[in-house]
Amino acid sequence: MRTLNLRIVRGGPGRPATYQTYQVSVDEHLNILDAVQKVWATQDPTLLFRHACHHASCGLCGVRVNGRERLMCLTPIAEFPEGATVTLEPLRNFPWVGDLVVDVKPLMDRMAAIQAPYVRKDELTAGSEEGTRFEDCIECGLCMSACPVVGSDSAYLGPSPLAMIKRLLEEPRGRDIQSLCALAGDAHGAWRCHSVMECVEVCPSNVDPSQAIGWLRRYLILRGRRQLAGAERR
Amino acid sequence: MWIWQALSGILLTVLLVVHMVANHFVVEGGLRTYEDVIHYLSNPFIFALETAFLIVVTSHALMGVRAIILDLGISPAADRRLKAVLVALGAVIVAYAVWLTGSVVLRA
Amino acid sequence: MDRTLSSLPVSEHVARASWWRRAAAWVDLHGRREGWLAFILMRVTGIGLVFYLFLHLTVLSTLARGRQAWDAFIALARSPLFVAFDAVLIFGMLYHGLNGLRVILLGLGVGSRRQAVLFWGAFVLSIVLTAVAVRMILMMG
Repeated sequence: MRTLNLRIVRGGPGRPATYQTYQVSVDEHLNILDAVQKVWATQDPTLLFRHACHHASCGLCGVRVNGRERLMCLTPIAEFPEGATVTLEPLRNFPWVGDLVVDVKPLMDRMAAIQAPYVRKDELTAGSEEGTRFEDCIECGLCMSACPVVGSDSAYLGPSPLAMIKRLLEEPRGRDIQSLCALAGDAHGAWRCHSVMECVEVCPSNVDPSQAIGWLRRYLILRGRRQLAGAERR
Repeated sequence: MWIWQALSGILLTVLLVVHMVANHFVVEGGLRTYEDVIHYLSNPFIFALETAFLIVVTSHALMGVRAIILDLGISPAADRRLKAVLVALGAVIVAYAVWLTGSVVLRA
Repeated sequence: MDRTLSSLPVSEHVARASWWRRAAAWVDLHGRREGWLAFILMRVTGIGLVFYLFLHLTVLSTLARGRQAWDAFIALARSPLFVAFDAVLIFGMLYHGLNGLRVILLGLGVGSRRQAVLFWGAFVLSIVLTAVAVRMILMMG
């Protein structure tokens, strides 16, 4: 067993943010999510937090652990020494609902605008290659929280939506390439990225949005050149 | 715009090194005397090189300013106004600097 | 200012925030690492260099005012305080240039897994070259 002091942001819109510290003992083989659940079950049933799967596939339990964007289910208790204070705060750049919960609508709106699919193996049509399946992205929003540009430019598409566009352009299957390129090529699309790289560092799922944004830029440049060459020939 | 910022940035690293070497490294004591500056700028090749540097550095700087303001999420209409202001500002800066160096050279 | 952006989905709460609140997102260092440090240094040196460009062009107007004005400026430029200013300027130029090359590579999707190493490389090289340049200035002056 290991005893930790969980220092958790409490409050919500209209209520001032305060820190409340809970002392909790949990098995050191468990994760921070288990500790938070134990606090909720045994000490404070009013604590707001989101979770579902416990194994990094639902993408619901993203918070900031000591300032850094993490999934609570992937943050081992063993990382912290006995008696340590661990600060838990909600994600940045999303509207705050209360305690550890944010409204992920901005991310979902972007994914909807892209018409992001869930590409499953059984959906692969004849002739299409398997490729890197973009269910790699669990839409947890950690990258959106870590990116400073998402916090200042309300229209910036952001790391994971851009990575999603890259994935679709890689394997369009009848998608409207034109409109995907219009989204990615917007001044608030792929070109708005300043390579702050925090998205890559916090992604719990190896998506590498920065690399995807670079891919999109190369794609847009080459496509622009092809179109220019085509126009000249005509 | 990112691509122009990248290309002008690469060009600038070259031009800045030339600018620094020509104006400080090869000069005795590191700073030019008044006559020396005029003599230096009177060379048409140097004048063209320094003007090219001026244009590239000004556009890179103002595109950088636009990038920072765009990061604040402005509307397409505001962006158009911003672009007009920055292009005008850039033109004024280049005109002023060319007038300055040109008049100094001609007066000598 | 009109902040509605057509065609792209907008984060309403960000759009509603004041511009300085939005700009504060750039300087929130909490829980951030090298990539952010590289970005904020890039931004600070960039803004600094824009101001320096204006300053430089203003100072050069002494050329138009003749030899005496220029000589006075050159004398000022040899003062120790000015050398300190030079050091900051040279570091700014070197870092902005070297990290600029890093950002070009990363921005085209090259080397994203090596970004922290590339940052420290650019940072340390900038400091070393600044030290070399300052030594040269002191030896010349």
